[in-house]
Amino acid sequence: MVFILGVNFHEQKLVKKALESFYALGPQTADRILAKYSIHPRMKMASLPQRTATALTAELSSMTIENDARKVIQDNIKRLRDIGTYRGRRHAMGLPVRGQRTRNQIQTARKLNKVERRG
Amino acid sequence: MMAVPNCLRCLVRPSTTSITTSVIPQSQRIVPILAAPFSTTSSVQKAGMQPRKKAGIPGKGSLSRAQIGPNGHIRAGKKMQLGKFKKAKNIERGKAPAPGERKAFRKRVLLSNDNALPVTGLEELSAQGLLDASNVGRMVALPNELVDQLRAVEAFKPTQSWGMFRQPSVLLRKESVELAKKMTETAGRGETLKLVISGDKLVGKSMLLLQAISNAFLNNWIVFHVPEGQELTNASTDYAPIPDTKPTQYSQQAYGLRLLQALRKANASILAELRTVNPHPELVQHFPVGSSLLQLANAAREPDSAWPIFNAVWSELMVKGNGRPPILFSVDGLAHIMKMSEYRSPAFEIIHAHDLALVNHFVEFLAGNKKLPNGGAVIAATARSNAPRNPSMELMVGRREAELGYAEEKPVKEPYGKGYDERVEKALEKVDVLKLRSVSRTEARSLMEYWAASGLLRTAVDEKTVSEKWMIGGNGNLGEMERVSLLTMRY
Repeated sequence: MVFILGVNFHEQKLVKKALESFYALGPQTADRILAKYSIHPRMKMASLPQRTATALTAELSSMTIENDARKVIQDNIKRLRDIGTYRGRRHAMGLPVRGQRTRNQIQTARKLNKVERRG
Repeated sequence: MMAVPNCLRCLVRPSTTSITTSVIPQSQRIVPILAAPFSTTSSVQKAGMQPRKKAGIPGKGSLSRAQIGPNGHIRAGKKMQLGKFKKAKNIERGKAPAPGERKAFRKRVLLSNDNALPVTGLEELSAQGLLDASNVGRMVALPNELVDQLRAVEAFKPTQSWGMFRQPSVLLRKESVELAKKMTETAGRGETLKLVISGDKLVGKSMLLLQAISNAFLNNWIVFHVPEGQELTNASTDYAPIPDTKPTQYSQQAYGLRLLQALRKANASILAELRTVNPHPELVQHFPVGSSLLQLANAAREPDSAWPIFNAVWSELMVKGNGRPPILFSVDGLAHIMKMSEYRSPAFEIIHAHDLALVNHFVEFLAGNKKLPNGGAVIAATARSNAPRNPSMELMVGRREAELGYAEEKPVKEPYGKGYDERVEKALEKVDVLKLRSVSRTEARSLMEYWAASGLLRTAVDEKTVSEKWMIGGNGNLGEMERVSLLTMRY
């Protein structure tokens, strides 16, 4: 078991996949982080040296990921609503924002479009 | 038999309505056809072959209420609910293979087969025998000690058919003897043989490399062998930038450890006799001058500490004189180490394979920028089945082949061709090329006689059979001959 940023990962998990499990950290960023610390893409958590794991935690804690990234999105939505835009209103109503029809198939909008958006 | 058009709604497989009344009993005609989509058995026969017990199952619950129309359509009656009151089944799936087990199975090398007949009268391979031109076209058995050494450096490949015969044996070809002679002569002069083995697919390049390695072991050389060039460059082992190098070089600790382990397994007796001549203050452990190289190599236990020790052992072996033996450094799969690797630098740039320190060691010798101080050979074999496209390497090898008379015209660079690599061209400028070609009929005959004596080729080996197999096998391409005579069950 290896801890990165307070999260416990299984030893058989790829380091790349472990990094990608953080919100707002995708394949591109993960690749760059791997290259920065000279971790080969097929390395698993078990063979990650403790020193590198600590360095990764430090690196990640300086990035806008997880709750910080969610907060940025929520702020953006809030700003739209506060200045009274159509997009802000649609977000608040949980409806599609970009002119899609709402006769059917708006599950994604119902799921995601909220002022206090999660995920 | 043609399938009759089906009702789309009922979504059953092509029904056998037209024959049901005559051939198949009523209860069986709605049996789903569970076999593979392609089969040479006709559907009538297949339906007939279905075991009765199985056939009974669907009829019991689901379709007893369904009505079967006169032309075979099934109308759903009441919808059944499967598994509503059933207990969850505890299916025994067996133990899943442990991590790495599948790969180990895939990569295992079997070197003997108790079911094959032992071939009597085979000479054992010896250093002298490899140099003797009268041995061309003879099968020779590999002595046990040599087999252990070859296994340690992974010179045997899982794709070669060692597992069919009682004892690993090789055919001494014209090229094997030539290569052995060349190696011995060059090392005798204290020079480095720089050689690329090229040739068509399945012609026996890796096998020739194995014979070169055997020659080295039999003459008590030190051998570093990289069995798969791709393992160095496809970003599957550790790497780390080496500080204070410009342009930055990258170490591969885990692979260095692997090479050291192979070295101390295969060359233990030689290493035990060699003594260090330099102090190695950079190592954690203290090795006074005069300690044995085996002790030094044994100090590498973990990948983390392996790299400095690899460097120390390497620098000790590079000392001139002091009883240091010649060295063979060989790589199989040259194309993989002559391209951009899949590693990335900290600045996210792709690393050239020649910037990896291990590859760099090899390439420097191959290019002739460095020389092995006590002589030896640097041999690379190209691969044809697993090789990335590598225009520069092909160009340079093709040019050398043309110079040596293997081809009529020198290949030229495509004026708008992409993917040429200057570093690769420079590295292969002065290299010697051995183009391996098909075997002669006498060589083929001796090999086929060995197959027959092992009980694997069950025909009389006469002029006719030999010519036939020789011709079917791509005019004497050894791998193809093996395919058409030994591996016919597999293809």
